[in-house]
Amino acid sequence: MQRSGHRRIPQVDVRKLDHKYCEFVLSNTDASAANALRRVMLAEVPTIAIDLVEIEINTTVLNDEFIAHRLGLIPLVSHAVHGMKSVFEGADEEDFMEVELSLSVRCMSEGTLDVTSNDFLLDPLHPEVHPIGYVPPGQPVDRSRVEPGILIVKMRRGQELALRAVARKGIGRDHAKWSPVATAVFQYMPGVMINRALMDTLTEAQKKDLCASDPSHMLEYNDVTQQVEVHNVEAYHYDGECLAKAVEMKKEGVLVIKQLQDKFIFRVEGTGVLPAQDVVATAMDVLIAKLRNLQEALPQDDEAG
Amino acid sequence: MEGVEVAEDAEITQEDAWTVITSFFNAKGLVRQQLDSFNEFVNSQMQEIVDESGQLVIKPESQHLPGQEAELEQREIHISFNQIYLSKPTMTEADGETSGMFPNEARLRNLTYAAPLYVDITKRVITRAPDAAEDEQQDELEEYPKVFIGEIPVMLRSSFCSLFEHTDKELTDLGECPYDQGGYFVVNGSEKVLIAQERMANNHVYVFRKSQPSKYSFVCECRSVIEGSTRNTSSMAIRMLSRTAGRSGGQVMRATIPYIRSDVPILVVFRALGFVADRDILEHIVYDFGDTEMMEALRPSIEEALPINSQEVALDYIGKRGSSIGVPKDKRIQYAREILQRELLPHVAIGEYCETKKAYFYGYMIHRVLLVALGRREQDDRDHYANKRLDLGGPLLASLFRQLFRKLVKDVRSYVQKCVDRGREINLTAAVNKDTLTRGLRYSIATGNWGMQGTAGLRAGVSQVLNRLTYASTLSHLRRISSPIGREGKLAKPRQLHNSQWGMICPAETPEGQACGLVKNLALMSYISVGCASAPVLEFLEEWATENLEEIAASATKIFVNGVWVGVHRDPAMLVRTLRQMRRQVDINTEVGVVHDIRLQELRLYTDFGRCCRPLFIVERQALRIKKSHIQALQGVEGTTEKLEWHDLVYRGFIEYVDTEEEETTMIAMELRDLKAAAQEGARGSAPLYTHCEIHPSMILGVCASIIPFPDHNQSPRNTYQSAMGKQAMGMYVTNYQTRMDTQAYVLYYPQKPLVTTRAMEYLHFRELPAGQNTIVAIACYSGYNQEDSLMMNQSSIDRGFFRSMFFRSYRAEEKKQGSLVQEVIERPDREVTVAMRHGTYDKLDDDGIAPPGTRVSGDDVIIGKTSPLAEEAPGTAQRFTKKDVSTSLRNSESGMVDQVMVSTNAEGQRFVKLRVRSIRIPQVGDKFASRHGQKGTIGITYTQEDMPFTAEGITPDLIINPHAIPSRMTIGHLVEALMSKVAALMGKEGDATPFTDVTVDNISAALHKCGYQSRGWEVMYSGHTGRQLHAQIFLNPTYYQRLKHMVDDKIHSRGRGPVQILTRQPVEGRARDGGLRFGEMERDCIISHGTAAFLKERLFDQSDAYRVHVCDACGLFAVANLKKNQFYCPACKNTTGVVQVFMPYACKLLFQELMAMAIAPRIQF
Repeated sequence: MQRSGHRRIPQVDVRKLDHKYCEFVLSNTDASAANALRRVMLAEVPTIAIDLVEIEINTTVLNDEFIAHRLGLIPLVSHAVHGMKSVFEGADEEDFMEVELSLSVRCMSEGTLDVTSNDFLLDPLHPEVHPIGYVPPGQPVDRSRVEPGILIVKMRRGQELALRAVARKGIGRDHAKWSPVATAVFQYMPGVMINRALMDTLTEAQKKDLCASDPSHMLEYNDVTQQVEVHNVEAYHYDGECLAKAVEMKKEGVLVIKQLQDKFIFRVEGTGVLPAQDVVATAMDVLIAKLRNLQEALPQDDEAG
Repeated sequence: MEGVEVAEDAEITQEDAWTVITSFFNAKGLVRQQLDSFNEFVNSQMQEIVDESGQLVIKPESQHLPGQEAELEQREIHISFNQIYLSKPTMTEADGETSGMFPNEARLRNLTYAAPLYVDITKRVITRAPDAAEDEQQDELEEYPKVFIGEIPVMLRSSFCSLFEHTDKELTDLGECPYDQGGYFVVNGSEKVLIAQERMANNHVYVFRKSQPSKYSFVCECRSVIEGSTRNTSSMAIRMLSRTAGRSGGQVMRATIPYIRSDVPILVVFRALGFVADRDILEHIVYDFGDTEMMEALRPSIEEALPINSQEVALDYIGKRGSSIGVPKDKRIQYAREILQRELLPHVAIGEYCETKKAYFYGYMIHRVLLVALGRREQDDRDHYANKRLDLGGPLLASLFRQLFRKLVKDVRSYVQKCVDRGREINLTAAVNKDTLTRGLRYSIATGNWGMQGTAGLRAGVSQVLNRLTYASTLSHLRRISSPIGREGKLAKPRQLHNSQWGMICPAETPEGQACGLVKNLALMSYISVGCASAPVLEFLEEWATENLEEIAASATKIFVNGVWVGVHRDPAMLVRTLRQMRRQVDINTEVGVVHDIRLQELRLYTDFGRCCRPLFIVERQALRIKKSHIQALQGVEGTTEKLEWHDLVYRGFIEYVDTEEEETTMIAMELRDLKAAAQEGARGSAPLYTHCEIHPSMILGVCASIIPFPDHNQSPRNTYQSAMGKQAMGMYVTNYQTRMDTQAYVLYYPQKPLVTTRAMEYLHFRELPAGQNTIVAIACYSGYNQEDSLMMNQSSIDRGFFRSMFFRSYRAEEKKQGSLVQEVIERPDREVTVAMRHGTYDKLDDDGIAPPGTRVSGDDVIIGKTSPLAEEAPGTAQRFTKKDVSTSLRNSESGMVDQVMVSTNAEGQRFVKLRVRSIRIPQVGDKFASRHGQKGTIGITYTQEDMPFTAEGITPDLIINPHAIPSRMTIGHLVEALMSKVAALMGKEGDATPFTDVTVDNISAALHKCGYQSRGWEVMYSGHTGRQLHAQIFLNPTYYQRLKHMVDDKIHSRGRGPVQILTRQPVEGRARDGGLRFGEMERDCIISHGTAAFLKERLFDQSDAYRVHVCDACGLFAVANLKKNQFYCPACKNTTGVVQVFMPYACKLLFQELMAMAIAPRIQF
């Protein structure tokens, strides 16, 4: 590449941010960087999840493996993950590696009893690691406000479940339960240009047809100005339906749609385990660490180049 | 008020037809044919069979005792079997305690779910003094009420089952699945279905044209069986010789009569029956003497029989050709008379003085041949379903019960005879052998060999183990039909789908390969007649001026009842109308088939069992008889005065059952709108005159094909493939799987009901007991790991529980008792005193000798320890081993956790253990999956979420299949299902994919477009590896997928060294025995052509059964060698030198030794 002298400075422009959702525009970089960020967010941001279950009593309808699998998928609030070490990180005795939760429920009543994530007893050493939306058992609950907790198993009279669960640090690539996001995705920013001159040759009905042809409603017919306007560029999914419609009308070129190759809209939907912004930030850190790792591993001959 | 009236009289819509269908399934369930036929067996057939046995009359055989001259008295013993009683199923424990039994107990404890059968027996002893007068006799009557005569296995959910008419809640408490339909038996703990057996209908007259060259040109057959009897079929035939085979004259006809060795000219039979004059005879054959063509055709036959000109001569002619030779003339004539009376067409009559009836039927057969020979009629169709009858559980059991009961009666007779002859007291309760029935029925149902053990003509495979893989496979198994026609026969016709099977038999569901088209399945709404008495029909005919056979006229219509010609009638149209009317009012049974064959001038009525019928809407004056108001009453809509049910619809004449033969005489509208169109056009008179209307055309499908969405958009073999595959899908096969101990069971972790369903699924409970998951499927080429029917699966989805399943396998062990001494014991075997211990570990056994629940077991681990005592050696000598190990170990290639252990006792009161092992199966490379359109594939690779292609919305597929799977297979239904699933998912509704409805792809596409998606289901996707857009848009939609039971973990196999066969020392076969992989002829051929001889030798010799022998150089026979002492000796030539070492296959050495044993000396020369 000849442009090595011209260094681009990527830019991040956060648009929406709350605990579970983050939307930002990454610009001035290319698809490989954007995709790397996406992949890291999905698979390499560490979180905490139940990894080992010791079942003491289980007389429920679900077998031990079934319950263990369900427990693993319960999202645990993972702020503490930064202080933890995983099994693969060369940890020793003193390192903070495990959080132990326990659960012991017995159904004494007629009717069905739901065992949920709220029935967990937390690790007294690490009370900050708990299932999301956790309300400790016995605490008076305002049912209208609080989420009911994540269902583990349903019980009938006389059934019992008692277990010890060990939560550990891990990454989404090893098992999806450690993925901090439901999805993290980016989209190329579309660039839409309307050829006004050609557009004016269309009848009103044709214009409306053109707008209707796009399922994402990117185009809109403005009744007042009698013009086709770009209503919501970002909704466009490059399905080419409106372009095909234009060709069908023998008006090829009324619309020109390009994919901007250096501007990406990111949408990160967290699971609630980590705040969305945390996921993005950690992903950046992981990415930087990877690059540094690579740089260190490469032969140091850049003085010559 | 008036508005409501109008609405009530309105015509019904297609949607209302579904209300009718729902009421059908509510009333009938899915295995009605099985239950009906069993109930019929118990309620009437069993009693009839007992009554058939009549009265046993036993007289003492004259005993000639020297010295005792005069007989003292004459004694006669009459024994008769009267009323039978079947109680509820019971169980008698080994200690004699009897209690009621429920099926689940029978399943778990390997018992037989059977009910005791009792019969009232009366014994009458008539004694008469030797010199007393006729009426001076002593009469002694003794009643034996309710004598136990055996146990009858009871069909589950039949009216004699202990589960009959229980609520769902009660069933659950009894350990049953409320969705289970019954219709099967539990024998020795295993569930057995009786497969319906197809056969040709009896008493029909068939005319076939023989393919030339053949001796005959036409053959007319009639397989005659008397209604409700066990006598073997006695067939007779009339054959017309072909021009070449016959002598110079025209085409002569001959008759084949049972027990007569050679064919007889047709007129001889008439003369033998007493019709001598040609004119009399012709009256029986040609009804219209103006028919010169037919008269002419008979000329050669008349001329042939010219010399036989009286009844005497004719009878003698037949008698001469009888079985015995050299009998005097009068005996011959008597013999011929009897044959004609008893063996010729017995279904017409077997009594005396019925020559007229027989002659008319016989003449009718000749008439039929002539019709075909003169080209006025086509030959009969052997494969027409009207000519087929289905023997269901009831008739099958009845035939078995009859055989066994006869044996029982025979045994009673011989017992009583013995008692009488020896002058002993007669104890009737002891005379009845209770095991005859119990064992006989149990043997046949358990093995499927139908018939008494040891008798000829055993039919195999009648009873099968109920398939419990998936709920649908169970249902389908209970509705299966098998034709016993030879599987090897290359004849294609019986295998082909016949037009007359419409609505009766599923057009898609049949296996591939050997049994293709021979094994069939019932369509959803078909009904099999259970049979009813013909007497009411005959009475009715009498009343309605049916004329006798004597008054035959050319214009009159012949009336047949169950194939017997009973008379003629001059106004058949009126008669048919009345008969149908009465059937619709249930004045005669709804099952009666009324066939008016206008062309043949015949009216055929059927009341027999095993006919395929199906319900149809009755049409009168181009409109359905059923109206909107009745539908509302059916739905129980408020304001309707009454609540209707299915049987009301039949009783009120809205719907009737039409059998396959009657269907040929009806005009059926496919859809309601066809009827409407006909009614509108009716004024112009060009519209067809409908008599019936289909309830819904999708009801032609069977259980498995009804699960396929849009089957009407698929290439037809694909529906057949899916029908076979749906039976291997995992799901929820019953709701009580935790309380059952099936030998194998697969259960899906998270079964889902499909996004796109068919209406029929409601009745199949597919939503409640589904077998699959809704999967986001991309049809794309992504990295090449989905070629040739492999698929790529999302590993992250798998982590989240996608298609996870559990597998259960049950092991069983019981303490067997041999003799009074040898008693096996379930315990932990002690290595000190036990011989032949297994190599697996015994550590997992608890103190009771059974691995406790929760134990992780694998490989060859012993899970149930059991020992059998060894016979004591010489007394006094100290024996090291006193026991032999007979433990059960886990299958060597499996592993899992002990899930449940059941300890009980079996019927003999022996300790009985069942142990269930569970293992979790997570989808992995090599596991098999399929959509509902015969599109199956195995996983080629799993990718995590970040490697999967994604859409701008962040959707990643769960599964990627290859686009090449689509064009050549033409499974358009697959694509339509996918498209509709997407709409269904977006709108939060279920999609309707019932076949033969008005849904179009354009409708679905428009709905999808409205939801904001590309109308054809395409999505722009981005590579997960690079983040770049994929060149093509991808068809990404939800599709319902099934996980099939074939998994790599059950198939993976390799071997280096391992066990060998004892005889040949070659590696054993099969994965279960750690066997070798066969290097067969074709592999051998490859290596030969490749030219690597050393490799070939290694495979075939070194790695197989290499062996070293020593051969005497002088004589070429095997020598004895002691290599340690370096001594050699040839026993043949007493040589000790010149012995050479040879390597040869052990099989070769074996052959040589076997030859030597046969006194052949195979010499090896060098």
